[in-house]
Amino acid sequence: MRIKVDYELCDGLGQCALVAPEVFALDDDEQLVVAPDPAPELAGKVAAAVRACPVRAISVEGA
Amino acid sequence: MREVVVVGAGLAGVRAGEALRAGGFTGALTVVSEEAELPYDRPPLTKQLVAGTLTEADIRLAGAEDFGARWVRGTAAVGLDRERRRVRLADGAELPYDGLVVATGARAREWPGAVPAGVLTVRGLGDVRALRAAVDGGAREVVVVGAGFVGVELASSLVGLGLGVRVTLVEPFGRPLRVLGGTVPDVVADAARRAGVVLRLGVGVTGFRAQRGRVAGVELADGGVLPAALVVVAIGMVPATGWLLGSGLALPAGRVHCDERLFARAAGVAAAPDPRIVVAGDVARCDAVRSADGPVALEHWSNAAAQGELAARNLLAGPAGAEPYAHVPSFWTSAFGLRIKSVGLPGSGDRVVVEEGEPGSEKVVEAHYREGRLVGAVSVNLGKRLAGYGRRLQGERALPVAGAEVVG
Repeated sequence: MRIKVDYELCDGLGQCALVAPEVFALDDDEQLVVAPDPAPELAGKVAAAVRACPVRAISVEGA
Repeated sequence: MREVVVVGAGLAGVRAGEALRAGGFTGALTVVSEEAELPYDRPPLTKQLVAGTLTEADIRLAGAEDFGARWVRGTAAVGLDRERRRVRLADGAELPYDGLVVATGARAREWPGAVPAGVLTVRGLGDVRALRAAVDGGAREVVVVGAGFVGVELASSLVGLGLGVRVTLVEPFGRPLRVLGGTVPDVVADAARRAGVVLRLGVGVTGFRAQRGRVAGVELADGGVLPAALVVVAIGMVPATGWLLGSGLALPAGRVHCDERLFARAAGVAAAPDPRIVVAGDVARCDAVRSADGPVALEHWSNAAAQGELAARNLLAGPAGAEPYAHVPSFWTSAFGLRIKSVGLPGSGDRVVVEEGEPGSEKVVEAHYREGRLVGAVSVNLGKRLAGYGRRLQGERALPVAGAEVVG
């Protein structure tokens, strides 16, 4: 599972971090950070995070 | 289920349409929209769209064209006949359904009484066009009535335009964004003043003055008059449920009452859920969304998205196979350089604890407790802490976050 974030779109709203905190977090400046190589069993939560992103900045390859 | 009708093409309606197809529904799908516009996202309207940093094309709801629906645009639903299972439209047409998604959202609350030209509300794309046209046409004295999220975001966007727009924000209830509780409303007030907004707090508006039919001033309860070339009335919203009067559905406080699985409840003592009708978004008052005082309505983006999706899945599954709605409320806004986020229902607490940062500073996290139990948290420019509070809120209710698949 490879997670791609379009940082041009990402507004640091943090909705993904609420849905899948194992994978997504905000840093001190509210910039999004993504865990590299998340475990395959998190695919469902990552998909939910993709849907929870108001600006559709997150996509997944090779789930 | 062969025919599904979705009434409302905002976020909740579009997510419902997508989820119906994702859930294997291959029958006839009709989406009814009162607006003639293609579906769009609402949060940027008062911020990026007014500011001009996003265009109308940027805020279109991606995917809305992809789920194979018949669209009925520019036509309102005006009635619901549950016995004959038909939605009646303004043009006289009737749409039969086996399943119905009620997602009609809300309208801006209008000023109670007649208003002169130049007094606007902002809820939709057309409203933002009118607002920008007035400002671009030379309106420089703008009065915003109501310092809730819409009022505060608009005040911020207008003073930030660099056009010399002078904004006065009038808030009868004393503090901007008071729903957030704690010290954050005062932080917002300070930031607004520094940005050049004139705040008139704790004073009501009694009426408007006009010259040649156009607004010229706003009359205040203390006898003062604010000069105004343009007025935005931002005093909340009204759920769009007029079309459901007479349907036999329960409409407490004008919202559609639905059970924990988002099935609409009938009016009356039994209040039995209708297995063919689900409800989603601003229009819903769901039994699963409660503060300590009882069920509340949520008018948030994330709630509309999650309810739209679950309502569609539950409609397909039927009451026996449906899942309860289990969403931790979350919200964000930005104004005057402050990025404000919340989880839970912070305004419903009885004690506020500053957990990080200095109270009253522009970097702060406040947790809200009620009878010792966490009910919500608010961050200003420290959003990284909120996921932790979201997890705690989820844990205290022992429920999964809406939309997340439970693994294992």
